[in-house]
Amino acid sequence: MIKIENISKSYVKGKKSIDNLNLEIRNGEIFGFLGPNGAGKTTTIKMIIGVLNPDEGDILIDGKSIKKESLEAKKEFGFVPDNPDMFLKLKGIEYLNFLADIYEIPNEKRKERIENLTKKFEIYDNLNSEIQSYSHGMRQKIVICGALLNNPKNWILDEPMTGLDPKSSHDLKEMMKEHSKNGNTVFFSTHVLEVAEKLCDRVGIINKGKLVFVGTFEEMKNKFKENKSLEDLFLEITENEE
Amino acid sequence: MKNKVISLTKVIFKNSFQNMETAKEANTNKKSKSMIILYIFVFIYLAGIIGVFSNGLIKELIAIKQEQMFIGLILLGIAGFVLIQSIFSAINILYYSKDNEYILPLPIKPREIVASKTNVLLITEYFVIAIIGLIPLSIYGILTSASGAYYIAMAIVLLTFPIIPVLISSLLVLIVMSFSKFAKNKNRFQLIATLFIIAIICVLSFTTSSQETSPEELIEMVTKANGLVETIRGAFPTLGMAIESLVNTNLQNQILNLLLLVTTTGIIYILYIILGQKLYLKGAVGNLSSGKKTKKKIDERKLFKKSTLFGTYVGKEFKTLLRNPVFFMQCVLPAILFPILIIGLSFLGIKGEQNSELESIVNIIQNKTSIYLGIGILCAVQFFLMFIYISATAISRDGENAVFIKYIPVPFIKQIDYKVFPNIVMTTFMSILTIIMVEYLLKIPIIYILLIAIASIIMGIFHSYISIIVDLKRPKLEWNSEYAVVKQNMNLMWPVILGLVNITIIVALAIICNFINSYIFIAVISLIYIFLTIVIRNYIKKNEEKLLEKIY
Repeated sequence: MIKIENISKSYVKGKKSIDNLNLEIRNGEIFGFLGPNGAGKTTTIKMIIGVLNPDEGDILIDGKSIKKESLEAKKEFGFVPDNPDMFLKLKGIEYLNFLADIYEIPNEKRKERIENLTKKFEIYDNLNSEIQSYSHGMRQKIVICGALLNNPKNWILDEPMTGLDPKSSHDLKEMMKEHSKNGNTVFFSTHVLEVAEKLCDRVGIINKGKLVFVGTFEEMKNKFKENKSLEDLFLEITENEE
Repeated sequence: MKNKVISLTKVIFKNSFQNMETAKEANTNKKSKSMIILYIFVFIYLAGIIGVFSNGLIKELIAIKQEQMFIGLILLGIAGFVLIQSIFSAINILYYSKDNEYILPLPIKPREIVASKTNVLLITEYFVIAIIGLIPLSIYGILTSASGAYYIAMAIVLLTFPIIPVLISSLLVLIVMSFSKFAKNKNRFQLIATLFIIAIICVLSFTTSSQETSPEELIEMVTKANGLVETIRGAFPTLGMAIESLVNTNLQNQILNLLLLVTTTGIIYILYIILGQKLYLKGAVGNLSSGKKTKKKIDERKLFKKSTLFGTYVGKEFKTLLRNPVFFMQCVLPAILFPILIIGLSFLGIKGEQNSELESIVNIIQNKTSIYLGIGILCAVQFFLMFIYISATAISRDGENAVFIKYIPVPFIKQIDYKVFPNIVMTTFMSILTIIMVEYLLKIPIIYILLIAIASIIMGIFHSYISIIVDLKRPKLEWNSEYAVVKQNMNLMWPVILGLVNITIIVALAIICNFINSYIFIAVISLIYIFLTIVIRNYIKKNEEKLLEKIY
């Protein structure tokens, strides 16, 4: 479970990039985080994973504060960044072993996890190559494999579908569903509204640093009493806030 | 063509230097003003050191009526420096810069790309020439009460003279890189190609500078006013013209030599562009993607193996350094090359040339345990330390991946220890190498040299930790080629400044405490460095939040 409590963040004095954001992503749910470019999605994600410190408020990951018990909290999630160009000079297998060592995954488990994940994403045969030689999609896949390697309860994914081929995208979505079905949390940002519509149990829409909607797709329709597509509703919500 | 070359030069130049100010956040006016003041201060500091050195040397040379030798030495120094320096820059700017991905598909002729990229190379060299050329030559002008014509000639010489060394290096790079399409492993090819070009330049400079001069001729040159400059006149193709443009008292001759210099440079530039347009695309196309692509079956027993956190993290750091030719050449190689080149060559000079004066100096120093000898060795080690950039680029090398430090469950200070470790390994290696060479040469008593070795290693550890603070405070995380991290990075001035400050302090301590037993003095120096290292490491540990605030 990820609990965001009253967080605010300013890059420039007097202008809040995130303004008093409250959000709870429950166990067993897939939560889609939507918003126009520059709305504050990546800033929020960076605060959740401890890369940025909120000016106010706190974030709890499975009850552990990212501020006060950062090392413990960091063990509770796997993170996929929006840029998959990670450690390009390492070979795929070296990158995964590096992460496995950091997350202290024992030998037998790591072999099984690496094989399962990389075979599922069809990059097993490329593990002995430097990541630099991978295509954008393959880089995205190896980063996803790395994030899921220690089987974290909470998945935090920033635009995870970008660059994935249809099969890998489908597999990832299935994995997300399975993960949430097992009582875990999936939190991801996306621009693809169809994906959010089909995949998410709930969505949150952020605009200009403020959370303007949280709930299910049905709740959104009920709230606005309109039988529109998610795209139309999204545009309406974000434009109304302009 | 002209307009395209100018706009392309502007774009490539701005793109290379856009991240000189490394922080992502908008700098406040106050901050940027203080940085400008700081850079001015640093410039004045470096200029001061060069100025004092030049002033001393010119006065010595004036006393023996050989002051023109100074101009020859400075220009030769510029040629040598630019030759070596632009090999690295040329490979990176011409071939390994990310902007190639955007420039090559544009309707721009190869000659326009070559011309623009060479212009950028040249402009970057002018920054350094402002320090190593402009200051000494201006001081020369002042001390010799030169006329206004000298200063005009100096400006023209400083603008034109470095062009040919840049063109020679770039042309060698263009020729060697045109074979890159045959290379399976682009990274290894780049490394081997660079070392090969350095070797060519060394051989070339050795053959051109080793003109046979008989003792009688040498005596004649030394006794004749400004005769000594003749010994180096032929060491570089346009050196003679450049020297004549500056030292000739006859204005007509001065103008003639300047015209000759400018015309020769112009002709060589045109020839370079003609050759460049034929060679460039051969190497540039196909160089865009690099990295070893294999589908070798992985050896499961070896590869799914658990390592300690220390082993895996330090291993990752070493792999990044060793597999990346730019990082390897700029961060690792100097640790090996510098002591060998500088101490080795001076050793060869002493032993090989039957130089009785130098040999007698060595005989005086041999078997001695003076404080100054110990300090001299420590200063030499500190000098070499300034060029090992592993710690000073430890965060920047990761680029945008540096945020990784902040979201993995590994304590910050441990990560810093692991990141600093490769620097400690290389500085220790360099210290031991230097000590072995010095010991071989000077036969210092074994206990004393061991003590100096320990002090050098501890100084290296201290230097490693203090350098990473610079990178933590001002990391350069958004770069378009690895070259930007190690060359277009103002942070790298700091290890040099800190090194110079360190040298000043230990020399001052030696002067103040010269009555103390030299063994005790070196031991105390070691203890001071241990203490300072602990203080610095504690500072890093306690200021995690502050030090990491630029990484996001």
